[in-house]
Amino acid sequence: MRYRAPEAAALISTDLAPFTALFDRRSGITHILASPAPEILAALTEPMTIDMLLAVLAREYDLADPDPAALAVRLDELVASGLVATT
Amino acid sequence: MRHALSIRIGPVGFRIGSDWRAPIDQLAALYRDYPVPDVADFTVRLFAARAWRRVIRPSVTIGGDYMLPDAAPLPLAHGLLAGEMAMNLQLALGYRRHLLLHASVVERDGRAIVMTGESGAGKSTLATLLASRGWRFMGDEFALLDPETGLVHAFPRLISLKNAGIAAAAAAWPDGRFGPSLPDTPKGDIRHLVPPAAAIARMDEPAMPALLLFPRHGVAADTRDVGASEAFVRLTQASTNYVALGEAGFRALTGLVRGVPARAIDYPDGDAAIAAVEALWAGL
Amino acid sequence: MSDHDQPDPDQPDAAAISDGGNAVPTRRRLLQLGAIGAGAVVSIRPALAQTAGSVMNCEIPVPDMGHAGGFIADDGSIVAAGTKGAYAPPGRPFKGEEVKRAMAGNQLPGTSYESNRAYMNYIRRLQRGQGGFTCFASLQMPRG
Repeated sequence: MRYRAPEAAALISTDLAPFTALFDRRSGITHILASPAPEILAALTEPMTIDMLLAVLAREYDLADPDPAALAVRLDELVASGLVATT
Repeated sequence: MRHALSIRIGPVGFRIGSDWRAPIDQLAALYRDYPVPDVADFTVRLFAARAWRRVIRPSVTIGGDYMLPDAAPLPLAHGLLAGEMAMNLQLALGYRRHLLLHASVVERDGRAIVMTGESGAGKSTLATLLASRGWRFMGDEFALLDPETGLVHAFPRLISLKNAGIAAAAAAWPDGRFGPSLPDTPKGDIRHLVPPAAAIARMDEPAMPALLLFPRHGVAADTRDVGASEAFVRLTQASTNYVALGEAGFRALTGLVRGVPARAIDYPDGDAAIAAVEALWAGL
Repeated sequence: MSDHDQPDPDQPDAAAISDGGNAVPTRRRLLQLGAIGAGAVVSIRPALAQTAGSVMNCEIPVPDMGHAGGFIADDGSIVAAGTKGAYAPPGRPFKGEEVKRAMAGNQLPGTSYESNRAYMNYIRRLQRGQGGFTCFASLQMPRG
């Protein structure tokens, strides 16, 4: 299963440190994201499996817990909110 | 509607129709210095749900362009309150021109304090006290935020004072024009106060928000920073039309919390509140 | 049009680690994937009723007009009038304030322990479109 982020035009992102506010134009819903959700969305530049995504994140960040199970939970939250699609 | 009145409050025009004369007379007396609108943005109706309800234990059902199901009628003695609630309802359900926030607003030198909080936290009383200390009153029920400009527009309705706030306002405004005492309403004892003349005269002057306040009355004095994200989430819960405004609402509200500092103030009494506000304002 | 204001994830070089003559710059920001507590995504869903309800007093009829006369079973479902073990509808709609107090642990006025539970279960099961739903929804959201 691959995970897919929306195209850039679909979202408006605003920094409300330490969180990120996101407006999804497709649904009209506003989301508040805490790390690592914004980083995960940014890393999904193309459809990826969990393992591919984990590898991308490990290259870009110093991962405290490079655990696919933990990443899966974060992805579940993003899918439940409508921000990430599965293909 | 046998009796009717048209009033403009800030950018919003209302036409209020009523099956009874008394509420219209009371509204007309209290709003006598307000302009008449060219166009009514909203129609408000105070009506008898059944013909006999006009006469026997008369009870006022609230309606207008927008209706809310489950609304309980009010006794005719509280007709003035029904009129005010009905205007609130129309605005809350139908207004799109500005982002609406449940907040009181005061202004000084073109810059505004937007005070928001739970019903009963004291935002009406605080706005009334500040208005008696030289601040211009812009409203105690709704702040109208323009998504294009970020300005807040005045909406100075009759100030709705509850319970202990009534005495506090009477002390601060000994020459104030008050409406009738309305004891034992669903929201407690209520009395309305006509805003000061300056507030009415300047209702078409917007202001730039400079401070966001979350006031809490009746607690030991304390002042705390509120982060932008917490302020944002709390304000989405304080808005009746945030969702309906979509992208414009998102930009307006994120712009507000990013551009304006937010503070929570707890205070035991009015004097402490004013001191806390002035201290914060001086420190901006 | 995107308004992306995220800080640059690449920090300036923090340090160069020497490893037998090979210097490895550490530039990556620390990221934690797990154990966030409540979760990393919160969706804002203010309900219409939440703030319109704060400007209105409202009522919740039990049961709603479409089922007038029906009895209320223990679990809050509506059953035929006269059903054994179920409760006759109360004589009048409940006010929002009364239901709010009942949610905090008090009893609805004029009810027994059992009938209070039945009516509260009915109210909790209200769906959008049923009489009393917007009133009930407005009681649950924080105001202001």
